[in-house]
Amino acid sequence: MKLLDMTRKYGNATYNYPFEPYKVPEGFRGKPAYDYEKCIGCTACAVACPSNAINVKLNEDKSKLVWEFNCARCIFCGRCDEVCPTNAVLLSDEFEMAVRFDKDNLKERGELDVECCQKCKNPFTTSKLISYDIERLKKAGWDEATLAEKTKYIRTCPECKKNIAVENSTQYFVRKRK
Amino acid sequence: MSKTYVVPEEIASANSLEAKLEHLKNIKGSFNVYRVDCGSCNGCEIEIFAAITPMWDPERFGFKLVASPRHADILLCSGPVTRQMYYPLLRAYEATPDPKVVVAIGACGSSGGIFHDAYSVWGGIDKIIPVDVYIPGCPPHPATIIHGLATALGILDQKLELKEHKNGSNESPEIKTSVFNNILFERDVLAEAKQLMGYLYGRKLFDKYIKAVKESPNIKDTVQTKITMERLSREEEDPRYRECMKVIHNNVYLNHIKQFKEIDIADRIDLSD
Ligand code: SF4
Ligand code: SF4
Ligand code: SF4
Repeated sequence: MKLLDMTRKYGNATYNYPFEPYKVPEGFRGKPAYDYEKCIGCTACAVACPSNAINVKLNEDKSKLVWEFNCARCIFCGRCDEVCPTNAVLLSDEFEMAVRFDKDNLKERGELDVECCQKCKNPFTTSKLISYDIERLKKAGWDEATLAEKTKYIRTCPECKKNIAVENSTQYFVRKRK
Repeated sequence: MSKTYVVPEEIASANSLEAKLEHLKNIKGSFNVYRVDCGSCNGCEIEIFAAITPMWDPERFGFKLVASPRHADILLCSGPVTRQMYYPLLRAYEATPDPKVVVAIGACGSSGGIFHDAYSVWGGIDKIIPVDVYIPGCPPHPATIIHGLATALGILDQKLELKEHKNGSNESPEIKTSVFNNILFERDVLAEAKQLMGYLYGRKLFDKYIKAVKESPNIKDTVQTKITMERLSREEEDPRYRECMKVIHNNVYLNHIKQFKEIDIADRIDLSD
């Protein structure tokens, strides 16, 4: 009886959760929510993810870059959230994550178009990343002329860029020796 | 590692989907759970025990932890299955009366989680025995555990589904215009804010700071900006933001102003008041 009195005084502490919604506290780290429209495929999140829950890879025929998130492996550390330059992945409030029978339901995929190198025609980044770069350079105060001049190589892959640089410099050496 | 355990014929036939669903229907009001710790870091165990405190009180729908797998209807397995726990897990699995429901809890239980590629683990309960319900989380919140058990019992529906996104546009996402007409300023402010307060509060600090800087009558005038910044940081209630806004002013803003004109020591905000 005494206990009952006490409960009456302090009220009921039990959350009525499965029967009514539960509100998570502020700053709760729930399932990372992916915004496909914003993702530019920069792979920063895949590099940062400590448990490889996010993988960004070319698909088999190398025609698309596939961003894949596997919630079963995620440890909710928030590093993807921290590094994403466009806030395309943000930890959400979602905590109801259990799935029955099929683990594939925990996955999320996004396909992005790849950009092929002007020179060697191999895919090296996404088209969206390049338009994002150019957009940012514009916002950084570059005018059209500088932009055209400086972004000449932006559609060339790092490997070809290296080769071009080496070719140019050796040319210079050869000429000098003559 | 290859799979070595093959579920014996009699267990497999007694555990068909129909039998399980029938069994779940029968035990809806009262079910016994046996917890198998397969080398977890104990984070998941703590959350399971948090989930059975009066705060969450799962006995409302009949959840009960039992001490022996022979009394159990549901096996709640946590951890990435270390080599040492391989046989104990099998013993618990075989000792549980049929039909049994296996729930893998935590990132480790579902797929190996952070330990998925370690040399001494199998990487998930489902590498060894068939799993029915997966509860991701590291560790899962008590509400997630209760949702998982309620999903197992069919009280609640699962919320997640395989999501595929395709054929998006190649347009760049929107980029906000800069207060200085140079986004490098915003980039540096954000980097400094994250360094000062972490990614979550850093973002809030960034918003507060940019809002404050926009209120300055002339952004390139250091004296006016300093006065505005001092006024606004005084109005800020949280002392962390108050101090960090001043630090950003001193470290980032003044650094940026340097490219337009000379700055002197009087432009810095004194952090001590
Ligand atoms: S929260 Fe952590 S573990 Fe989960 S996807 Fe992001 S970086 Fe990976
Ligand atoms: S960091 Fe962000 S933009 Fe880059 S691939 Fe990941 S989600 Fe996409
Ligand atoms: S999922 Fe996380 S909390 Fe649970 S056992 Fe694994 S590492 Fe520990």
